[in-house]
Amino acid sequence: MAVPLKKSDNITLSIRNLSKIFKGRDEKVVALDEVSLDVREGELFTLLGPSGCGKTTTLRCIAGFEKPTSGKIHFLGRDYTAIPPFRRNIGMVFQSYALFPHLSIYENVAYGLKTRKLPHREIEEKVDSILRMVGLEATRHRKSSELSGGQQQRIALARALVYNPQLLLLDEPLSNLDAKLRVYMREEIRRIQKQARVTTIYVTHDQEEALSISDRIAVMHAGRASQVGTPDEIYEDPNSIRVAAFIGQANFLECRVIKQARESLVLTFPSAEKITLKGISNRLWDFPHPEGVLFVRPNHMEIFPRPGKANTLRGKVKFILYLGSVVRHFIEVFQGRAPQEVLVDTDRRIKGVYEGEEVALGFHADDIRLFPPDQKDQLQKE
Amino acid sequence: MAGSLKEQLRKIELTPYLVLGLTLIILLVFIVYPLSRVVFNSFLESGDVPAIKNLTLANFSQFSRSTLYRSALLNSLTVGLLCVLFSCLLGIPMAYFVAKTEVPFKTAFITLGTLPLILPPFVGAYSWILLFGRQGVVNYFLSELFGFVLPDIYGAPGVIIAMSMSYYPFVFLLTYGALLSADPCIEESAEIMGASRLRVIRTVTLPLVIPSIAASALIVFMRAVGNFGVPALLGGNFYVLPTLIYFQVTGFFNLNTAGAIALVNVAMVGIAIILSQYVMARRSYVTITGTTQAARISSNRILKWVGTAFCLGVIFFSLLPHMTVIFTSFTEGWAGTRYPTKFSLENYRRIFQFCGTPIKNSLFLATTATLVAAVVGTLLSYISVRKRFRGRWILDLTVMLPFILPGIVVGVAILIGFSSGLIILSGTWMIMVIGFFIRRMPYIFRSTAASLSQIDVAVEEASTIAGATWATTFLKITLPLMAPGILAGAIISFSTLMGELSTTIILYSARWKTITVAIIEFLFSATIGPAYALGTILILMVLSAIALANRLLGRKMSQMFKMV
Repeated sequence: MAVPLKKSDNITLSIRNLSKIFKGRDEKVVALDEVSLDVREGELFTLLGPSGCGKTTTLRCIAGFEKPTSGKIHFLGRDYTAIPPFRRNIGMVFQSYALFPHLSIYENVAYGLKTRKLPHREIEEKVDSILRMVGLEATRHRKSSELSGGQQQRIALARALVYNPQLLLLDEPLSNLDAKLRVYMREEIRRIQKQARVTTIYVTHDQEEALSISDRIAVMHAGRASQVGTPDEIYEDPNSIRVAAFIGQANFLECRVIKQARESLVLTFPSAEKITLKGISNRLWDFPHPEGVLFVRPNHMEIFPRPGKANTLRGKVKFILYLGSVVRHFIEVFQGRAPQEVLVDTDRRIKGVYEGEEVALGFHADDIRLFPPDQKDQLQKE
Repeated sequence: MAGSLKEQLRKIELTPYLVLGLTLIILLVFIVYPLSRVVFNSFLESGDVPAIKNLTLANFSQFSRSTLYRSALLNSLTVGLLCVLFSCLLGIPMAYFVAKTEVPFKTAFITLGTLPLILPPFVGAYSWILLFGRQGVVNYFLSELFGFVLPDIYGAPGVIIAMSMSYYPFVFLLTYGALLSADPCIEESAEIMGASRLRVIRTVTLPLVIPSIAASALIVFMRAVGNFGVPALLGGNFYVLPTLIYFQVTGFFNLNTAGAIALVNVAMVGIAIILSQYVMARRSYVTITGTTQAARISSNRILKWVGTAFCLGVIFFSLLPHMTVIFTSFTEGWAGTRYPTKFSLENYRRIFQFCGTPIKNSLFLATTATLVAAVVGTLLSYISVRKRFRGRWILDLTVMLPFILPGIVVGVAILIGFSSGLIILSGTWMIMVIGFFIRRMPYIFRSTAASLSQIDVAVEEASTIAGATWATTFLKITLPLMAPGILAGAIISFSTLMGELSTTIILYSARWKTITVAIIEFLFSATIGPAYALGTILILMVLSAIALANRLLGRKMSQMFKMV
């Protein structure tokens, strides 16, 4: 599934067929199932997925805290699996920050430099400069417990970066912060990471965080990498219902493919409504199944005040949420046995679209994807 | 290939395997080996070569042949059960009053209610005779004023009273803890549904604390059937299993028979453990407390005064023996006369003249054993908490075994294990240190395991990923963070070793007499003054160790004991 890489890409970390099976007393848990990933030099690569998807296990295999059951991890051409964690020259930020509670902030940050037996002078210079980089030079003599969550977070980052690691691992670093600080800190992390130019693996379950911070994302599910790509590829062009449903909001509508011709596609829906789409891409044209699931993001849908317009679906506005930058419409459509809810996001209120009114819904060929009918079961699971 | 093997070895860190492996070997040599020797030897007749064909039940048949053995078995059982009963009768109401009523001086009650656990029971035991014995002070007055005397407490009654007064704090502290941690909302919801106060206690409060009561009852039973000092001093012709073991060892040096009696003693404890597990497993209630609400306190006036009187009474009588020890140590020729006639430091002058060595010995042995136990116990708890492997429960059980076993049994095991065979240490200080160290290691193991499980594994991983080897991480991160647990365990271990008697009595030699041996020798020869002067010194040393721990750790004594 991995996106094909150009030859010019500088692969630093390459994971091949990584599997990890945890054996319990009488059960086996497959945490990782033949995962293969390539991470380019200097990029921020995110492992995104719900809890239990294997993202943290992958990270801990890279760190060396877990021994893979099979598979290889190569870093700059060297086999990582044979190197003990303390010799891998990795920086890591833990979910709980894991600052040493008995040491001062200075001693925390200097720790990795002392294990590298750097001269005293150099240690002091490096600690000072990294503390300046994270904006916390004033805290050097304090204990970690005296710092706020956001400050601890930045010290953890400084401690991981101070010895110029070849690889930085971040394990859900923002999950213990409140919402506002989380947004601020992810920009900070992005800034510091680019400044340090360090190849970074970032683990999170928060898709918004992943989209905003990453160069590339691997969406993981049940021990496998479902899709690897840039944030916009993942958001705009998901390769499965599962990825589409996990990232952001999505509408799914079952439909039948009536006619596929060059540059036009005719779909019918259980409500017997018919939509003709013009200017379709190759992928839609190539869609091999007679029926499928149509996917369209709420912000890619159009809403019209009166039903009956050609090439639209009929719906009824249940309610409207005004969210400031977005107006979210909850529309009930009758496709099949039960009424189904469709989300439509617009950037402002639309005249004639009120709660309880009937409306027409439309979309453009560029904004939709069709998924094969056998992926339907992924809808229920999520 | 040779090069790649070397390469392989460089890649694996050897230090943890070496250090932790060595620790496990210590466990095998000093716990598993002697304990298996006891089991094996108890099926051998004295003087027989250890071989399969010589195995016999002769040592155990004593229990069906000899009335002495049978009555000792029955006596042990009686003492154990009655101590449990009386400890509960004292401890449970006291816990209720302190936790649930407006009794004053709660902190003082808790501290004073913990003291009997720290003070060695046998030191105070003789005071019961001085106070309530046939020639005791109380009887002087009773016969003079009212013309009657108390029934003789020498024998069974004295043993049971002395032990119950020493062991009730287990019940008090554990029940008190359970009462405090039980969610008050549960009681309130019972009340809102229309239950009366007594009904709430009977149907809600009590069932919630039953697992804690069962746990403390088990500890009391184990301590009571394993105690040597109290029945040795107060028992007279009332023999129990530990005194029987003592006579087999010192009287006949028949270690195999002693081993057989020890096994019976252990079996008794084993049955008690199984029974209590049964009680606890069927009624284990985990109360999930959302808010840390304080326990609900009854504002009933009568309960308050009854409770205060009860607590004061229990504390007074439980500490009376030790107060008598301290008071008497400053008198001359008392008891024996109606009033103490002369106060002086004569007793202290005498013991400093003759007992310098026992004091030094006790300090040396307790310190050495505590240090060894601290090192080995800390490493073992690290293995147990941090290294996940199958059969870890075997490790935990092995370490905790000497905690369950009566002290005198551990003494017999160490003596059998190291008085013949590969390692011969009998008569040396080392054999005593071994006995002490394996008996107190569980304290350190528990308290360090508790503090280790509080430490986030990620903190150690952060050190590893920053480039530190296992040894560096352990020394610079893990150990400093575990230090409070190690210190707490070590101080409890040290202070209880200073007053240790039942293992000592089996293992000591003339050259290595301890304070406790000196005290009991004085008491056996009714030389009360010097015995009590030594006892006072012992009490002071133990109390200052605990006070030091409180100062260093900022923790209350009762909290430290809740861990063990």
